[in-house]
Amino acid sequence: MNTLAPHSPARGVSSAVSARSFAGGIASFARREFRDSIASRWFLLYTIAFGVLAVGVSFLSLSGVGSHGFAGFGRTAAGLLNLVVLVVPLMALTAGAGTIAGERERGTLLYLLAQPVSRSQVVIGKYIGLAGTLVCSLCIGFGVSAGVLAWRTGGVGVGSYAMLVAFTVLLALAMLSVGTLISVVSRKPSVATGLGLFVWLTLVFVSDLGLMASSILLKLRVQEIFGLAVLNPLQAFKMAVIVNMNASLDVLGPVGAYASRTYGDSLSWMLATTLVLWAVVPLMLATLLFARKGAL
Amino acid sequence: MRSITIAILASLLMSSVALATSGAREPTSRSVALIGAMIDAADPGSTIHVPAGIYTGNLIITKPITLDGGDATVFDGLGQGTVIDVRAQRVTVRRCVIRASGKDVTGEPAAVRVSAGSATIESNTIEDALFGIDLRESPDSIIRDNSIRCKDLDPGRRGDGIRLWWSHGCVIEDNTVRGSRDMVFWYSENLRIRRNTVTDSRYGLHFMYSHDTVLEENVLTGNSVGIYLMYSNRITLRDNRLTNNRGASGYGIGLKDCDDITVTGNALLANRVGMYIDNSPSSIGSTGLFKSNMVAFNEIGLLATPNTHDNVFTRNSFVENEEPAATHGRGRLDSNVFAKDGAGNYWSDYAGFDLDHDGIGDLAYEPRSLFGAMLAREPNLRLFVHSPAQRAIEFTARALPELRPEPTLTDPSPLALPQDLKLTGAHPRRPTAMGVLALLLLTFAGGLAFFLARNPGVIAPPQGVTE
Repeated sequence: MNTLAPHSPARGVSSAVSARSFAGGIASFARREFRDSIASRWFLLYTIAFGVLAVGVSFLSLSGVGSHGFAGFGRTAAGLLNLVVLVVPLMALTAGAGTIAGERERGTLLYLLAQPVSRSQVVIGKYIGLAGTLVCSLCIGFGVSAGVLAWRTGGVGVGSYAMLVAFTVLLALAMLSVGTLISVVSRKPSVATGLGLFVWLTLVFVSDLGLMASSILLKLRVQEIFGLAVLNPLQAFKMAVIVNMNASLDVLGPVGAYASRTYGDSLSWMLATTLVLWAVVPLMLATLLFARKGAL
Repeated sequence: MRSITIAILASLLMSSVALATSGAREPTSRSVALIGAMIDAADPGSTIHVPAGIYTGNLIITKPITLDGGDATVFDGLGQGTVIDVRAQRVTVRRCVIRASGKDVTGEPAAVRVSAGSATIESNTIEDALFGIDLRESPDSIIRDNSIRCKDLDPGRRGDGIRLWWSHGCVIEDNTVRGSRDMVFWYSENLRIRRNTVTDSRYGLHFMYSHDTVLEENVLTGNSVGIYLMYSNRITLRDNRLTNNRGASGYGIGLKDCDDITVTGNALLANRVGMYIDNSPSSIGSTGLFKSNMVAFNEIGLLATPNTHDNVFTRNSFVENEEPAATHGRGRLDSNVFAKDGAGNYWSDYAGFDLDHDGIGDLAYEPRSLFGAMLAREPNLRLFVHSPAQRAIEFTARALPELRPEPTLTDPSPLALPQDLKLTGAHPRRPTAMGVLALLLLTFAGGLAFFLARNPGVIAPPQGVTE
């Protein structure tokens, strides 16, 4: 396992060895990141917070008349959706923002870079470690919440629930990627966290409110509103979940109906692709910038 | 594969046995002219038990007679014209399979067309029809217990599952219609329409200029609109169940220019709009009564044009609708009455209280959703429902009273509790599958954690390193 030990073979001797050591380097960093996350207790905090909220939403939505298991756009689903849109980007952005910037401030970054690994390995490894941590955290929250739903026998269908989990993971990966980019460009963790919160606020509130205002003031057409809205990963996530639950976006009024009519069955894939791009592109940028910019 | 082979062999064997015993070649399908000849030979009013088999072509019945297919007779129009054309009074067609009408819209081909009164069309299975059962000026007829499946065409190209035209006093009950355009009633009065099921069609039940009718216990699911009444007066809608009607208009119940409508005990669930009221009642002195309906899980519970007035809403339950009540365009619904004899309606978003426990909230219900008011002006903003931005807007409106819109309506005595929701046909629940999913997720989380928590190698950070 000690691929990063000083006596490990130098990179580039043969492509097979190099590929293995490249992946091995990433894996080591990922594992280390995971252990650090648990040690620093943010993982525990986030898991408990998300789990309690998810179970709370499930319980609340199962009380009263909603408990008859009638699925329209079920209110369990709506509740979980609202929760995820608010909380998961916050978790992922702050976790990502702290990663490199934190090491930088603690002075451990130089030590890490002294290891015989490339800088891209450091960034990608840390990203994967944090991603694993987040996915664990989300799966525990959703798992316990699904347990509550099963026990009380109600709520949304199993398939839609699984899709909600899958898209939430995708959203977390996308936001973590943005957070990592923030971390790379920030000198101090406090700056990184501030920037992360700013991005969160922008994606959650400002961009939607701005789009609402401009759609009224500029009299945007439905296709323009849809095009702009889908750029926001949170909107893409919301639409993807609703499409998979209702087979149509008509819940979202004229704009949703337009999207369903125009893109039909490919809409779901399109939205998923948007989220994947949000996960891949900022991470690539972060890797490139970190490789160029260096430790300080 | 094997079972198919065995089935083919068995049928070959049986047909060869039949050949050997009868000595004559038995065609799989015969001309419907055979039945025509049987009808010609029969006395008026008698019953013909049609021999089992497939009869192809178009049958015209011009004599009062009962045709009983015994659930083993198929009339196949071979995709041409109307399959059974009834042109005499007091004809009964019962227990037949009737299929493959023409599909050219100009002749309006139907599986069964009746153009004389007092017909009984009962317990038939209709498939691949443009129009299903079409009554033209056929009063006092009965359409009962038929299963109708229309041609699989674009909704605009389909025909009506059941259509009545100038046919008073008919009974339409226990029919099942799937994938048609409408079940539509033109200029037909005093009908009884009971226990029909319409799914995947355009308008489940559609009334045009048809008065004095009772619609009871019908089930309308997955249509563009459940029940749409237009220019029809004195109609009672009772105990119908309208779910998931979410087409372009997507109303559970839609009323356009209808006077003296009574809507009681219906369940309107998960439609785009539960009840839509457009200028009803339209005449001076007439009213509309909406009582004890369950309006739940719709995007909009009650939607009405601003000119709507003189409707009475009492003892309805508005539960978990995205918007409980909204105006179609600007304006308010305050020309309508939301309480009768001291009993208002249950609103699940009511924030008041019932301190004296008399079942009536102590404060009036006055919904003032700023986002709802914005939606009324800018329908495109519906894209932003279920978003934190929507909540931010509502919060702002609560914090800054000058931003709060006028209430859309006032219910002076809102009910503290909803009526019982009888959801017999709710979606099946699968607790086991959900439990398995819960276990899977937790196991996955545990496995991932175990995998990642293994020894990371030598790069654990050294203690006490400083820059």
